[in-house]
Order: sequence, then structure tokens, then C-alpha cells
Amino acid sequence: MTILAQQLTLGLMIGGLYGLAAVGLSLVFGVLKVLNVAHGELIMLGGYGAFWLFALFGLDPFASLLLVLPLSLLLGLALYGALFGFVVRADEETRVKNSLLIGFGLALVLHALAVRLWTADDRSIDTPYAGAAISLGGLSIPLVRLASLALAFTLIGGLHLLLKHWRWGQAIRATAEDWQAAMLTGIDVRRAYLLAFAIGTALAGAAGTLVSVGYSINPSIGLEWTLKALIVVVLAGLGSTFGTFVGGLFLGVAEAASAAVFGGPYREVVGLVIFVAVLLLRPRGLFGQ
Amino acid sequence: MRALTARGELGWAVSLLVLTVLALLPLLTHRDDILNFVFLVLLSVALAESWNILAGYAGQVNLGHAAFFGLGALVTRTLWIRGTPILPAMAAGAVVAMAFSLLIGAAAFRLRGAYFAIGTLALGEILRTTVGNLFPEISTLSAASIAAYRLSHRYYLALGLATVSVAAVAALASSRIGLGMQAIREDEEAAEASGVGALRIKLTALGVSTGLAGLAGGLFAYYLISYYPSHPFGPQWTFDALLMTFIGGVGTVLGPILGAALYVFLKEYLAVRWVDFHLLIFGALFVLIVLLLPGGLVQAGARARRLLRRGEAARGRGGPTNLGPRPSPADAPDREPHLLAGARRK
Amino acid sequence: MLEIRDLDLAYGDARALSGVTLSVKPGEIVALLGPNGAGKTTLLKAIAGLLRPRAGTIVWEGEDLGRLPAHLVVERGLALVPEGRRLFGAMTVEENLALGAFAARARGDRQANLDRVYALFPVLRERRRQLVRQLSGGQQQMVAVGRALMASPRLLMLDEPSLGLAPLMVRAILEVLAQINRSGVAVFLVEQNVHASLTLAHRAYILETGCIVGEGSGADLLQDPHVRRAYLGPLAAREYFRL
Repeated sequence: MTILAQQLTLGLMIGGLYGLAAVGLSLVFGVLKVLNVAHGELIMLGGYGAFWLFALFGLDPFASLLLVLPLSLLLGLALYGALFGFVVRADEETRVKNSLLIGFGLALVLHALAVRLWTADDRSIDTPYAGAAISLGGLSIPLVRLASLALAFTLIGGLHLLLKHWRWGQAIRATAEDWQAAMLTGIDVRRAYLLAFAIGTALAGAAGTLVSVGYSINPSIGLEWTLKALIVVVLAGLGSTFGTFVGGLFLGVAEAASAAVFGGPYREVVGLVIFVAVLLLRPRGLFGQ
Repeated sequence: MRALTARGELGWAVSLLVLTVLALLPLLTHRDDILNFVFLVLLSVALAESWNILAGYAGQVNLGHAAFFGLGALVTRTLWIRGTPILPAMAAGAVVAMAFSLLIGAAAFRLRGAYFAIGTLALGEILRTTVGNLFPEISTLSAASIAAYRLSHRYYLALGLATVSVAAVAALASSRIGLGMQAIREDEEAAEASGVGALRIKLTALGVSTGLAGLAGGLFAYYLISYYPSHPFGPQWTFDALLMTFIGGVGTVLGPILGAALYVFLKEYLAVRWVDFHLLIFGALFVLIVLLLPGGLVQAGARARRLLRRGEAARGRGGPTNLGPRPSPADAPDREPHLLAGARRK
Repeated sequence: MLEIRDLDLAYGDARALSGVTLSVKPGEIVALLGPNGAGKTTLLKAIAGLLRPRAGTIVWEGEDLGRLPAHLVVERGLALVPEGRRLFGAMTVEENLALGAFAARARGDRQANLDRVYALFPVLRERRRQLVRQLSGGQQQMVAVGRALMASPRLLMLDEPSLGLAPLMVRAILEVLAQINRSGVAVFLVEQNVHASLTLAHRAYILETGCIVGEGSGADLLQDPHVRRAYLGPLAAREYFRL
């Protein structure tokens, strides 16, 4: 029983990261109607950013968030300007298809670059406190993972506040609902798109940083994380940041439960099966209006 | 009209010439590396053409294509290793792949557009993980089989399969069902409204596509001496087919052939110092093509030809599909012209 | 103030507007009448910057708006209350109104404009923290008009503000428009309720199948036989009550 509880708790920990990964994707899709399937690669890059800041400069990974966030933001601005800014010129249906294809190409390029620059080896960040764990009612919770969960929650909370109170955050929400009405209100919708995409990329980078601390990264984790994010977005629907976070937690716990019941190798399958099931039960996905 | 026929005849002549050269190749050279290279190109052509049927003609982007490649490989390998002759084994593989696709097809096609794409991606991954769990051990040929291994057999099978695939796509393209597929690709709702029977056509496309993919998988199982059973289920096979088809020219017969040749060439001959270099190039090329040249190399070739024949009134009637970016929505009724009035301002 | 000359607009091959010429002078209320599908909404969207005309000019205070994107048109002082209101349903009344002042020209006056809107529509002050989608049709229309007013416009355009509203609400909205006009804002109104809009308006145009076929003062057009037959007679009544 304790073993199960332990596994579920660990599932909860990683679920927080699933939620963070999904929130960025959800923001971009909700606002721009663009499905960036290179999102996982952006997470991967964030992870490597933190890893190298640690390996080269000894910067604590949680502290390096302060650097990774703005750097990822800049990357997002660049990617929008160079690529996705063109995708948004088409109508919604074409946008989704094109972003799928372009995201795919981008993912390939980023993956190939990562392999070339950093080799395909697994990397993880080994801080002095890496092994520490706290005991909570018979459970042993790794400190690093708990901190990651807390940080993920904080970041998502921060996003929520940003969208609620920042002028441009409100503009982003308005654009997501009705871009024409937003334009009529004086909002430069293209700038809203740019900001949303940059923020989404920043969140991906942050997720990557947290992944590199508590877990390990390598250039090929992109597809896996894109799928995780997609699953959570489909599960939780668009429009609620905290809903997405909860969806992530749910996925983490569901995976842990299925691993406990069916065995480790089937951990991945449950999420994918849920994904396909939800897609089918709502034929136009949660994205269709 | 005359120019068209001349080009058609030229096409036939060139194809026949190429086929003859390829057929004679094993007799002209004993170099295994050349035969290997051509084999891979032929296998890729078959795989790409099979993907092209569903994506290029029917407009459905199937990102789980590898599942059917893998199923064909799995069934073929299992039967062949136990003594079934290769051709029936491959046929069985194709049948299983096709049957599976039709089983899930009706449900899968309830998803449209990008959701079909990500749904099939998930499905492919489910299969890969499950097969990897059920058959974790490497599949190796017996010593006797290895001794009896003839590359030329595989080569001729590949040539036959590639030819069949190309012929199938060519026949489909101009058939009634093929036109139905293209109608669906252009505008599914309109096609449905005009009585096209979309689901049946999509299932047909799916069946042919996956059947061919299953055959290709069987060929793959026949070719490799040892591999992990889950390997042919990996997403890279789908992505390879996608890249080859798009870069060559999705929705054309020639496109996947050009794409496959270029792809395998770059992969084999650039792999020297940087293993995934070809992916970097193809990824970048792919993005450029989606943005600028949705018709791929075929469209580029057509444009080049038009430039050379500037005098003729040459209005190319497409071939490239809607999968690439459509020109501005200005030209569709019921759509707002120039959506973001400032969007086109630089 | 607003001068439209020979405006042409098409959706692909379908001509929506042909050679439309009209004007709105400072302080005026101008109505645009016409049957469904005449192109009235298209015209408003073109002025507002959501559609680009194929030919002709839209001149506002000496500047051609034809190629300006919608958010910059708002900056110039024109605000559109679109058909069907197009509010941000998942946001509160106050958030919707606040967004109305997004444009730079209106940012400084935000509080003042907000007070003015609440003065015009007291019920909105009561419900200001409610989600807009929970409001009644009439209240939503108020929010829509209020949101446009938050942009400090000098020309307020409205597309069918009375659509789906009870007659009492319709009268209330039109009275508010008169009040707004008295405070110095010009109004360009597309309205199904022909009688009410002609009574309210100083001048009106008639748009049929993309062309201006008539123009005159509100009072004159009320007496015009073509107008009476097409828009005020029993056939028109049937049209009006269709919804």
C-alpha cells in the first residue's frame, strides 16, 4: 500500500511538470489557433539551457530559471517572427494544419542541432541537495521534485495573474475569444499573438529546466513531451490555466497508477489511450466550437 | 494538347528506361553498397508513395503510418522465420495491416484535419510501445538463413514493390475514386454535400495506403538480418515518408520518387561525420517548402519549366495540395477578404 | 468628417459594394437602411478596418483609412459596435469596458469614460463584476455600446443594435444614442427598425445590393413612397417580425 502511495506521489510530482508543459501549448493554441508540435523541443532546449548553466557556471538550476525564462522568451519572439508569424496569416483551419507541419520541421531541425551540439547522451543536473528527501506520513518525497512541483504551480499562478491583470494579458484573453472584436477594441492582435507565443515558449523553457533537475534530458525527449502536453490540453480543454495544471496532475497520477497495475512498460500507453479516447468522444476535439 | 501527349510519351519512355536499368543493375555490378543504396531508395519510394495516397490525394495526414509498416514487418517476419515462403508471408502482412486500418478507420475518420494527425500519432505510439513490451527480444535470422541470404532477391522484390506502388498511385490519380479523393482533399464538406460518399472513399484510400505500407514492412523484415520488433513501428518511419513526399511534391506521382531518392542519398552520403545531418537539412527544407513552395520539387520543376517556356500560355493546374498554405482567403465566398487589413502591410 | 467615395468591395468574385458614396458630417446621426444582404455590414466593416476595399476611398478628417488595420482605425476616433455585439463572454462587464479603452487615445480618459458609461447605463454599474455571458440581451447591448464609447470615439458606428431586443429596450438604446449624439459624437447607424432610425437620424442613405439608391433627410425618407412600400409597409412588417 505504501509502495502504491509512494508511486502515486511521484506521479503527482511529474504531473505538475506535465501541467506546466501543457499550459504553454494551451496558451499558444488558444490564442493563435496554432498547434506548435515543436513545443517539446522547446522544453528540451530549456533543459539544456539549465544544464549548461550548471555545468559551465555552477549556477543552481532553480536560480537559472531567472535566466532561462527571459532567454526562452526571446527565443519565442524570434520563432514567431521567423516562422509562426507567417502561419497566422491564413484562416483557422489552414493555420492548424500548417503549424503542425512547420512545427514538425522545426522539431527536426532543433533535434538534429541538439544531437550535433550536445550528443545524444542523457544529462541530468546533480546538485549537492539532489538526494535529499523529506518524510511525510510514511512517504519519502524527493526535495527536488517537490520544489519543482511548487515552482510549476507558482509559474502557472503567475501566468494566471498576468492574464488577469496585465493590460496585454487581458488583450491576449480577448484575442483568444474573438480576434475581430479585439481589433475593434483597439488591440493590435498581431502583437497579442507575438506575446502569447513568447510567453508560451518561456513556460516551455521553464518546464525544461525543472525536468533537467529532477529527471534527465536528452535531445530526443521532445516528441514525448509534446505528446504529454497534447494529452493534457485535450483532457483539460482550453481556457483555464489551473484546469490545465490539474489535468497535468491527473495524467501523472494516472500514469503512476497504470504502471503499478499493468507494469512499468505500460506507463506511457495509458496517457495515449486516454488521449485517443477523449479525441474520439468529442469528435472535433475540445478545440472545436 | 499535343504538348501534353508528347510529355506523356516522354514520361513513359523515361520510366521504361529507368526500370530497365534498375532491373539490370544487379547483373551490371556486384557492389553490395550500390545495391543496398538502390534497395533503400526503392523501399523508401514504396513507403512514401503509400503515405502519399492518403495524404496527398485524400488529404488526410496520417502520422501513425509506421504502425502499418510495423504490422506488416511483424507478421511477415513471424511467418517467414517459421518457414512460410516470403511472398505469402508479405501478403499476409499486408492483409493484417489493411485489416487493422479498416478496423480503426471508421472511428479514426471521425477526427478531422490536424486532430486526425495527432490522433493517429498517438495510435502509432500506442502500438509501438505495446509491441515493444510484448516482443522485447531482438529478432535474428538463423545461421542457415544468413548463409542463404541473397541481396539480389531483396533487390528485385523492392523493385517490384516500388513499381507496384508508383503504378497504384498513378492509376488512382486518374481514376474515379482518385478524383473523389481529391475532391475530399480540397473541400471535404463540399464533397460530402455533392454526394461523394466521403467515408467510403477515405477508407479505400486508407486501405490501399496501409496495404502498401504493410508490404513495405514485410520487405523490410525480409531485408534486415536482426532488429528489434518494435523498430519498424517507430515514428521516424512515418516522418521519413512525410518528408520525402512533401519535399518531392505531395499529391503527385513523381514527388515521392524524387523525395525518396534525394532523402536516401543525403542520408547515406552525409552521415559520415554528423549522423542526423540529413534531418537538419530536410527539416529546414521542409519548413521552407510548407511556407513557400507547397508543391515541393515537382512544383519547383514545373515553375522552372514555365520560366524556360515563357512564351507559351502555361497556366499550371496545380497538383500540389491544400496541405500547404493556401493563398489568402480573399478568393472564397463567405470568407472575409484580407482578414487582417494590415496583415499584409510589411 | 467621414467621406466615402466610390467604394468597391468584393468577396472573391462576388461584388458586395459598388461605387458607394456617402458622408457623415460632425454632430450628425446618419442612418443606413436596406434589405438583408445589401452590404450594410460589409460597409461598416470596411470603414472599421476589418475588410479591405478593392477600390475607392474612405477619408476621415483628411486621411484615407482604406488600408489601415482595425486597431489603428480605433486610434483615429472611429468605433464600431459590431452586429451581434461580439463581447468577450468569459470576461466581466468591467473587464470588457476596460478593454474598450485599450487604444492609446483613450487610455488617459479611462476612468472618466467609465463613469460616463455607468451614468448612461446604471444597471451596468450594478453588474460590473458579472460575466458578460450571464447578462440579458439588452444589457449585453449596453456593454457593447459602452465598450465602444470607452474608446473616446468621435464617430460611433453601430450595426443592428436593436437586433433581438425587446421593443422597450430598443427605444432605450435609441434614446441613449440621441444622448450620445448630443454630447458631440457623430453616429452612423445601421438599423432594421426603419421607422425608429429615420425618426432619430438627421440624414439617411438606402443601400440595395451594394449600391446607394437613395439619400435624404430622416423626415423626407419617412414620407418617401419607395421607402414606405419596401421598408414600412406590411411586407416590411413581415420581414421585421421574422425573427
